[in-house]
Amino acid sequence: MAVSLSKGGNVSLSKEAPGLTEIVVGLGWDARVTDGTEFDLDASVFVVGENGKVLNDAGFIFYNNKKSADGAIEHLGDNRSGQGDGDDEQVNVKLTSLPQDVKKLVFAVTIHDAEARKQSFGQVSNAYIRVVNKADGKELARYDLSEDASTETAMIFGELYRNNEEFKFKAIGQGFAGGLKPLAEAHGVSIG
Amino acid sequence: MTTLGPGANAAVGSGNLRVEVVYTPIPGVDLDVSAFALAATGKVRSDNDMCFYGQPSVLGGAVQLLDSAAGRAAFSINLANLDASIEKIALTATLYENKASFDRVSSLSVSVSGGIEAQIPTAGMKETALILGEFYLRQGQWKFRCVAQGFAGGLAPLATHFGVDVAAPAPSAAPAPAPAPAPVATPAPPPAPKPSVSLSKVTLDKTRTSISLEKSAGGFGEIRVNLNWNKGKAGFFGRGKSIDLDVGCLYELQDGEKGCVQALGNAFGALNHEPFVQLMGDDRTGAVAGGEWLHINGSQWNRIRRILVYAFIYEGAPNWRETDGVVTIFVPGQAEIEVRLNEEGGSLGCCAIALLENDNGSVKVTRRVDFHRSQKPMDEAYRWGMNWGRGSK
Repeated sequence: MAVSLSKGGNVSLSKEAPGLTEIVVGLGWDARVTDGTEFDLDASVFVVGENGKVLNDAGFIFYNNKKSADGAIEHLGDNRSGQGDGDDEQVNVKLTSLPQDVKKLVFAVTIHDAEARKQSFGQVSNAYIRVVNKADGKELARYDLSEDASTETAMIFGELYRNNEEFKFKAIGQGFAGGLKPLAEAHGVSIG
Repeated sequence: MTTLGPGANAAVGSGNLRVEVVYTPIPGVDLDVSAFALAATGKVRSDNDMCFYGQPSVLGGAVQLLDSAAGRAAFSINLANLDASIEKIALTATLYENKASFDRVSSLSVSVSGGIEAQIPTAGMKETALILGEFYLRQGQWKFRCVAQGFAGGLAPLATHFGVDVAAPAPSAAPAPAPAPAPVATPAPPPAPKPSVSLSKVTLDKTRTSISLEKSAGGFGEIRVNLNWNKGKAGFFGRGKSIDLDVGCLYELQDGEKGCVQALGNAFGALNHEPFVQLMGDDRTGAVAGGEWLHINGSQWNRIRRILVYAFIYEGAPNWRETDGVVTIFVPGQAEIEVRLNEEGGSLGCCAIALLENDNGSVKVTRRVDFHRSQKPMDEAYRWGMNWGRGSK
């Protein structure tokens, strides 16, 4: 059973999917039908260590840096308009291949250029972000952005973290003002 | 009070909702508010599901455009009486004929009974048609979302987006290409023309006082004249001013026959024989969404010389401005013609609204809107020449 999250909710993957080894974070939305700039939603991952900061700038997986050096995290590409069914953007994470110094993965979703385009998640039709167990396609967590994060433009979706030898997923659902740049800076990424 | 910005949503009550749209009017540009009742597909089931100035009550009255004036429009939506296949109602605003974009509407807001208000930020908006917001069913609960997005192309692409067939603008006079000789077997019959909704209307006002409708081979079909007005608003202690506004006409046929058609004196007329004009019932309250109707048999237009459409206040103190009266003339295949009775009329109870004249077979419609003490002096002013007595109904 997928857990539909509300702000601050959380889900334990150790309960939801024991023995989880690989996840897909999927982001979906519908193409804009009215006039105006397209909706462009982006999924990003921050690969952070003990201190909550990225281990290095390569630990920020997004549309311009699609794959981690070890190949454990792979962003499958940027969809700029939301056309087509199903997930529009996907990030694969092989949990078992993550180096030991990686303590936490932070998943975020942002609207590209939200301020200039005057867009919020609620204006994007059928926007969601979800975590799926790669092994069986089962949805582990989902956040309905159009409905529950309607006035946000950037959001920390959730955190995947090590708990001893286990991975756990904590749903955050926290809006973040200002978009991807301050979000990245808050996780220790130097933005040029 | 819940204030919604674009994208935000809130739950609404389950019964009868009153929805008001308030805006700063732009002089000379009509802002029309419409509601589209949509099925799960996001489209209307048929053109009957679009509630707008040409169709103010839809879904058996569950969605109604109650009131529309410069600066505001009001709808009632009875969620309990909605057909179960309706899952969304989109509320839209359009600037008539794309004469301006929404950045010129300095304020625009929607309020929904139950204390929900949405401000639509119009600064910089290039659209001429907006989806203001939408009522939608989510997990068994009706909610309202502020959308504030739309189309630069206006009402036509907006209506098309919601699946409404929009009539092409006034047909051009371009001759149809001659069909190539077809030696093949019986050609398939052309598909029956699909009914579609005409979005055009012509407003006759002080700047544009007349329009001529060219004669067509089959006459004009049935010309329908509608009078719609607001009943007096109930006062604080429930003592409403009751105004009964009646529509009628003076007619003159080509053979010199003259008369009047009106409820007073039970002169209801007839469509299929002289005078070819008929009054279709009487709305005493103004509360009936349809108002009063006068029908003219357009196929007999060649036998009619002129018709003067008028309204008169049968009961209640004459205050024309407060009646918000609108006369709309519908001619099949033509843009509707609208005349608003919003000019000062003093204490005179009879208003000549529009003159329809047979001009070599075409219908020339002229806006009049002049006021008279009663039918008799109006008759004299127009040199109709009839005998008047007192009547009652």
